[in-house]
Amino acid sequence: MAPRDYYAVLGVARDASADDIKRAYRKLARKYHPDVSKDADAEAHFKELGEAYAVLKDAEKRAVYDQAGKEGLAGQGAGPPPGWDSGFEFSGRDFDTGPTPDQADFLDALFRARRQGPARAQGQDHHARVLIDLADAYRGGQRSVALRMPVVDAQGHVTLEERTLDVRIPKGIRAGQHLRLAGQGGPGPGGGPAGDLYLEIAFHPDPKFRVEGRDVYLDLPLSPWEAALGAQVPVPTPEGPVQLTIPSDSTAGRQLRLKGRGIPGKPPGDLYAVLKIALPPAATEAERDAYRAFAQAFPFDPRAPLQG
Amino acid sequence: MSDRHTTILRGLVVEEEVQLTLTELCQACRSEEQFVRAWIAEGILEPVGASPPEWRFTGESLRRARLARRLARDLGINPAGVALALDLLEEIQALRARIGREGSG
Repeated sequence: MAPRDYYAVLGVARDASADDIKRAYRKLARKYHPDVSKDADAEAHFKELGEAYAVLKDAEKRAVYDQAGKEGLAGQGAGPPPGWDSGFEFSGRDFDTGPTPDQADFLDALFRARRQGPARAQGQDHHARVLIDLADAYRGGQRSVALRMPVVDAQGHVTLEERTLDVRIPKGIRAGQHLRLAGQGGPGPGGGPAGDLYLEIAFHPDPKFRVEGRDVYLDLPLSPWEAALGAQVPVPTPEGPVQLTIPSDSTAGRQLRLKGRGIPGKPPGDLYAVLKIALPPAATEAERDAYRAFAQAFPFDPRAPLQG
Repeated sequence: MSDRHTTILRGLVVEEEVQLTLTELCQACRSEEQFVRAWIAEGILEPVGASPPEWRFTGESLRRARLARRLARDLGINPAGVALALDLLEEIQALRARIGREGSG
């Protein structure tokens, strides 16, 4: 998303009062909050809002911005950091400073650096979100996690520091759960104990499988004759394909449960195959004849439920 | 990515292997105790234990506390409003899950 003017982001005039700015921010923040909105763009919007509001709500930052623009704010060669994102690590300070963790941290680190020189680190707990494959939850394993966080160096410059951690993903982990890595958070002041790092687990979207808690759902297309007559069909699971018996007279929407084939655990989840009926297209004359024979054979009115 | 770490870090699954005290929960969600107590009073968090020093929070409380803190901070809503928002968000999630169970087409 191209950087936009902060006033345009909030939809306010350049001479808007502090109250106007707050009201505009709150209204848009409710609309685009990533915990509330499921818009694909919500997170980007919200990030942009937070960046704009973090500056415009603060008289000092707003004055710098009015005079020198964003370059004036981030004038030490460091641009705004990439956003609230998978792999972005932010310190707990996000909670008491500003609207979005990363930008608020970044700007605050910048201003703190200008006012006071380098700030001392604190042994705080850090949080980051990590995307893993569904297969990782089935098998367990190891993943490299790249984390970035704003750091103030000895000269007072703010840079994004990247570090890579090799993390063991326990078998059976589910979306929304947290892994606590002891001592991997912020360093302690004066040699005190470091904080912890919490990794919130989420799954990469999967084209085949939908996950709900421990259970996994899969759409299983059947031909009309497989549904009517019953069949043995191969079904993909995150652990590899299995053969599934389709009972005769199966209807669309019916769910066949493969017990214990969901995410492993105590108890393990189940895998559900949601039946879909796929109609073959009638492309050739022979295929059209087959449909005509169908029509002859069945005294079937699909619209019977619409009558009466 | 120049320096590869060779140690593999082993974490604890907070939801299953960890119970947090009030102090640990406040530290982990970076909230002041007064906020956490207000959320408990609204039923957003439900610790086990008779009195604050004995309170123990499940890992699920951490997710709810962090969500509550984000909503309170970003949208400026009070504890009662946060409780309502969490209830409604859970209802929406349950409805979305039902749609997911029934399949996409």
